[in-house]
Amino acid sequence: MAKMLQIFAVLCALAVLGIWFALGAHMGWSRNQIETKKVDPITEIAFSEFEDGFVPGIDFLGAGLIGSGVLFAAGFFLSKLKPKTS
Amino acid sequence: MKLTHTLVLTAALVTAAHAAPLTFDFKDPKGVNNVIFKLDAPLESINGQANGVSGTVTIDPEKPDATTGKIVVTTDSLTVPNAMMKEHMLGDQWLNAKANPEITFEIKKVGEIEKKGDKGEAKVTGLFTLNGVSKEITVEAKVTHLPGRLAERSPQKTPGDLLVIRAEFVIKRSDYNIQPGKNLDKVSDEIEIELAIAGAAPKA
Repeated sequence: MAKMLQIFAVLCALAVLGIWFALGAHMGWSRNQIETKKVDPITEIAFSEFEDGFVPGIDFLGAGLIGSGVLFAAGFFLSKLKPKTS
Repeated sequence: MKLTHTLVLTAALVTAAHAAPLTFDFKDPKGVNNVIFKLDAPLESINGQANGVSGTVTIDPEKPDATTGKIVVTTDSLTVPNAMMKEHMLGDQWLNAKANPEITFEIKKVGEIEKKGDKGEAKVTGLFTLNGVSKEITVEAKVTHLPGRLAERSPQKTPGDLLVIRAEFVIKRSDYNIQPGKNLDKVSDEIEIELAIAGAAPKA
């Protein structure tokens, strides 16, 4: 059980890292909107259009890694609590 | 026949010589008009945009110093890419969008005009109202007049002119009673504002 929890924690940490890298490794706060920059051809005004979308930031990475760390630690303590068989 | 031609030509010349001031409406159905704001913050600078722009500017190309008008931005059109940050920004602790639904700039004086063809630069003094606080500020504005270009942007091919206004200026949020002296470690006092808007003056 404890071993399983630790393996799950490592998998969670890898998944969080993988998602963060795959979605741009954004070093700021997570975003709920994705910005696309455009230029109006007549007025030459640059403007942005926003679409709903998730860009994970370092808050996502931090929360994911801390959560994984807590799971891993819980697994570690569970293994210490396990009664020894002789 | 010759008399009719002469009368038409005279009328056209008189109209051109005494061209009426043009009133440009900045309510842009294409949603291109925007105001960008930037604030320094420890992790990353907060960049946002507002596109709820409206208002009118009346300008006489012969007397640009007599320009009048007011640009309005709806407070709840201000957006940042993080939903929680946006909620805080529009909430009663910061911009209080419910109590102060509009951010406005009313032109009071236009000076130091430099005209180069259809383009021009000027120092525009006006009353800037944010968070219910009004202060007179002077901004450098770049203006481009695009005569006869409205039809290219209008689905109905409405004839008329376009006026593009660009301006960049800095304000302090503390001057507008937005958390003065507070949270300076999280959000800077200075706010950089970049305005790029186009107005339309349809020909009657």
